[in-house]
Amino acid sequence: MEATHDVLVVGAGCAGMRAAIAAHDAGANVGVISKLHPTRSHSGAAEGGINAALGNAAEDSPETHAFDTVKGSDYLGDQDAIEIFTREAPGDIYQLEHWGAFFSRRDDGRLAQRPFGAAGSPRTVYAADITGHVLIQVLYEQLVKRDITVYEEFFAWKLVENDGRCQGVICWDLMGGGLKTLGGKTVVLATGGQGRIYRTTTNAYACTGDGAAMAFHLGVPLKDMEFMQFHPTTLYPSGILLTEGCRGEGAYLLNSEGERFMKRYAPNAMELASRDVVSRSEQTEIDQGRGVNGSVYLDMRHLGAERIIERLPGSRELSMTFAGVDPIYDPVPVRPGAHYHMGGVETDNDGLTELTGLYAAGEVACVSVHGANRLGGNSLMETITFGRRAGHAAAEWALSNTTIDVPASAEADAERELRALLDVDSGERPWQIRQDLGTSMLENFGVFRREEQMARQLEIIAELKERYGRGVVVEDKGEVFNSDLTQAIELGNMLDLAECMLQAGIARKESRGAHARPYDYPSRDDENFMKHSISRLVGGKPELSYKEVRVTRFEPMERKY
Amino acid sequence: MQVGLKVWRFNAKTGERELQEFEIDAPEEATLLDCLDIVKDRHDGTLAYRKSCRMMICGSCGMRMDGAAVLACKTRMYDIAQAGHVPVISAMGNLPIVKDLVVDMAPFWRKFQSVDPYLQPGYEEPLDGREYLIEPERMNVIHKEALCINCGCCVSECNAMESDPEFTGPQALAKAMRFVGDPRDGRKVERLEALNGEHGVWECTRCYFCNERCPKGVDPRDAIAKLGAESMKEGIDRDMGAKHAKWFVTSAKTTGWLRETELVPKTQGIVAAIKQTRFALDLARHGKVPPPFPPHVAKDVKEARRLHDLVRDQGRAGYAGHVQGERALGRLAHGHGVGAETIEEIYERPGAFHRPFIAGEEENA
Amino acid sequence: MKKVAYYKGCLASLSAKELDSATQALAPKVGLELVELESVTCCGAGDIHEADPDYYLHLNARILSYAAAENVDTLLTVCNVCTLNLRQANFMLLGDADLRARVNENLVAVGVPAYERDVDVRHLLWEIADGEGYELLKGAAHKGLKGLKIAPFYGCQILRPSKIQGFEDPDRPWSLERIIEACGGEAVDYPAKIKCCGFPIIQAREETALGELIQPIEQAYEAGADAIVTPCPLCHLSLDAWQSKLKAQTGRDFKMPILHLSQLVGVAAGLTEAELKFKRHVVSVKPVLEKLEV
Repeated sequence: MEATHDVLVVGAGCAGMRAAIAAHDAGANVGVISKLHPTRSHSGAAEGGINAALGNAAEDSPETHAFDTVKGSDYLGDQDAIEIFTREAPGDIYQLEHWGAFFSRRDDGRLAQRPFGAAGSPRTVYAADITGHVLIQVLYEQLVKRDITVYEEFFAWKLVENDGRCQGVICWDLMGGGLKTLGGKTVVLATGGQGRIYRTTTNAYACTGDGAAMAFHLGVPLKDMEFMQFHPTTLYPSGILLTEGCRGEGAYLLNSEGERFMKRYAPNAMELASRDVVSRSEQTEIDQGRGVNGSVYLDMRHLGAERIIERLPGSRELSMTFAGVDPIYDPVPVRPGAHYHMGGVETDNDGLTELTGLYAAGEVACVSVHGANRLGGNSLMETITFGRRAGHAAAEWALSNTTIDVPASAEADAERELRALLDVDSGERPWQIRQDLGTSMLENFGVFRREEQMARQLEIIAELKERYGRGVVVEDKGEVFNSDLTQAIELGNMLDLAECMLQAGIARKESRGAHARPYDYPSRDDENFMKHSISRLVGGKPELSYKEVRVTRFEPMERKY
Repeated sequence: MQVGLKVWRFNAKTGERELQEFEIDAPEEATLLDCLDIVKDRHDGTLAYRKSCRMMICGSCGMRMDGAAVLACKTRMYDIAQAGHVPVISAMGNLPIVKDLVVDMAPFWRKFQSVDPYLQPGYEEPLDGREYLIEPERMNVIHKEALCINCGCCVSECNAMESDPEFTGPQALAKAMRFVGDPRDGRKVERLEALNGEHGVWECTRCYFCNERCPKGVDPRDAIAKLGAESMKEGIDRDMGAKHAKWFVTSAKTTGWLRETELVPKTQGIVAAIKQTRFALDLARHGKVPPPFPPHVAKDVKEARRLHDLVRDQGRAGYAGHVQGERALGRLAHGHGVGAETIEEIYERPGAFHRPFIAGEEENA
Repeated sequence: MKKVAYYKGCLASLSAKELDSATQALAPKVGLELVELESVTCCGAGDIHEADPDYYLHLNARILSYAAAENVDTLLTVCNVCTLNLRQANFMLLGDADLRARVNENLVAVGVPAYERDVDVRHLLWEIADGEGYELLKGAAHKGLKGLKIAPFYGCQILRPSKIQGFEDPDRPWSLERIIEACGGEAVDYPAKIKCCGFPIIQAREETALGELIQPIEQAYEAGADAIVTPCPLCHLSLDAWQSKLKAQTGRDFKMPILHLSQLVGVAAGLTEAELKFKRHVVSVKPVLEKLEV
């Protein structure tokens, strides 16, 4: 074993770093594992903001925030978790600010809050349009201050289970080469989402669901896998994110005729309706022929150059660099893209999974705060609040237990598997399978879903898994910076997760939140389906079951914006 | 479109270097990063480079194109391909190369850590537990330094660091300024003392490569200048670089023109100046050492004297003097003349997209 | 003739007098009528800009104001650093009405006219690399450089930051090469031509500066250059006056003559030694003059 720690955190984005800091501050010896340098994590790409009921911009309360979140989740969110979340969020924001986070301010010096989708009150704290970047910086600074050990550019490959407990992580050392095992009394997964399953996604290359796959392979249940949020404003053709904050500042969505079509879909909230509503509206316009290049337009011309340059400079630069359009003068082509996965590793309100010693927080986890659809600004907040809770819980447990036992067989098995991967000399390159996966998922499991297409997609995934199983060619057989190898492993992870997503999606015979089936099951069916999908690996295949939604004070109502 | 690339391959273990040429087919909107992906996927899976977000925010993909550091994801290839140019892609400079386009960032992060890059609050936290109250103008003092994504493009091109690898460097110094200028930080003077050391702010050669290469508009050179200004304001001025600067100010307000001859002893001290005597005499033979007497005084120099005393008390000493110009200079980055039109004019431009409207309403909302 | 306000800066006034005399003699030949500004001071170089930025702004605003008072459109400079300092101050004032108002109030309070009429700051290099100035240059350089190999050294601040300087592509500049060729010389290419000579830290951090300084000199030498030309007297000072220190450090005696831009064009245009003042150089220019049979 390379080293042992009380708490191992896998992933160094906002959730991972916040968990590491919490665990450290609780007295644990922490090791952070990341396949990237921490500041490269995809949390840094978040733009628009982070939600908390501070009440700076207008009257607000954790109860209102909770209600908006529950409604936004289309009543699939677990309300006890949501109440904890909205209650603790303000304190977490103040903590970040005391650590030096650079937030935009009101004239009176208080933290500024902007309106965001489906929020009853403007509660999105922000830093121009680079909020994620600012959070990553402040968390990394606090990590450095505490001199927390980081195993950077260590690709986490397998979790080690022994004696009914998670005991550590087997990694591939990208810089030094070779497999390295890290022992941990507890492991906190904070590896983010898997948008890269889709060809059009806002996600970084790194977002391949490694943590969820690792947990899944141990038989740990995943929850609500069918719910993938499609962000309404991703640039055409790259899929790069244009923040909801643009709409928060007043941008319009137009179809090819220049019509603000949201009036017909969400007459009150208009462009600031919930993301799934907006994505569906856009997709409908596109499907009905009122799009251009499979996209609609985000129009900011009426905001004026001054406001755009001051409040949305990042968005302007992204539009100009990646879409070739200056939003001061022209509307920007946007379309729905896979953005955030509401589902993930099932945890309790302290981030604990079914497996003793294994925790999860952030996008990789499903507590569930977001249910069937997430509100903009809630994800960053979740990473902080639940990152802290999971890190703290993991530390507490670790400090009251003394042993770590990684069996030699775990390492030997991993070595063998690695050899097998590297020994393939003829066959397909991973990119071919990756491309087919991405294109077919977008087509058959996108914004709108239908029985036949989903069934077909399940077959396609089976074919892709078979192709993958025959062995893909990793051309780089070397030890130093072998990203060819890690990319091949990532593909395997995505295939396994895609299968879970489809299985759960076909079985959910209703439309709820991001799972939209307007052609066969257009309505929400609370009687039969107000429950979480649970995917568990049994006998080498995913098995589907269901679990109750925890309702506290908000009874399900019709969801209109 | 057809894109040609020449890539410097390097293996640190064997020390082998090789310039490899690739010819690929890429979509028109492809960036350099997209092209590298095509090379790695379809031509040579052993090509090593870092990437993640592909949207200019994670800072992973810093590398050199034709000797100048860029973010690969920000570099569109269309114009280059159209011109038939085949760029040379290599790893960033001033950092050890591990493999191909991957550099060892450890020295970079060490320098980052050396400036204590975290808030050191010196003030009581607000009694109500809420946020420190900071007006937008005070927070915005550091808004440029806060943009830094740690990509290394500035460090790659730093001329001072190339000559002296121990120089703290533009990225770490910009990060230091981020805290020196943060109203919540309580250790400004201690930080400035540390930054006035041998490899600190006064080793910057002012080549402006960092400003030029930075893909986010951080302007590290300006951050270094802010640190220099604030050091002077706090009376931290023992470094030769500071003394050098002080003599310029003294010259301007006494004679107007730089009092060159006295510059050496004023900067380096009499003893060191005496050591330079032979060098100085050599210069003097060619008239390069103008006699300090009679002083070369500019016309109406009393205006310059009075200006000095007048502005000194107007509260823009230190970094404030730099920050005051950022509003205007920021506009330069966005392109001259942008924002001159009214919104009506923008809607009326030839070929402009439709005006927004809501179906069934006369005026749009 | 284009009437321009002429700001020569500190070095051209004192240790680099040769730059001023060559420029003044050359100007009419390239269509420039110089009106020398007198009520001006040092532009502050990088030093006042760094250490006392508010004073820097006011000193430069004063220079701009006096230039504007001559009723010209152009303020002509002959130094990289002066050019950057004045242009940056100019953009700060032109782009921020409040700031301009404040600075003007201060100027007026000490008896300086307010800076109201806008001027554009341009280095002599830009005036003669293109347009009317270039055409006249071609005609004037009749004596020519007779195929002499000249290494152009731009240095830093005439090119960067390009959003302020903006005359040419900072990575692929062409102005010096064009002028060299128009004067009948052969431009020599080498990588360090756009890098820093180290002058700003040559006193405070001599070793680091020399590590920079050696690059253009060594590369130009190895490329077979007969001389280096530079548009900046500060670069000239380090390349010329500090060349002896390179010899002490490396043991190599490059004997590379360094010419100011005005001198290069001037010698091609037939100016006299009284105007060019080559004798003031530390590294002898004799080898160049012998080749030109001057």
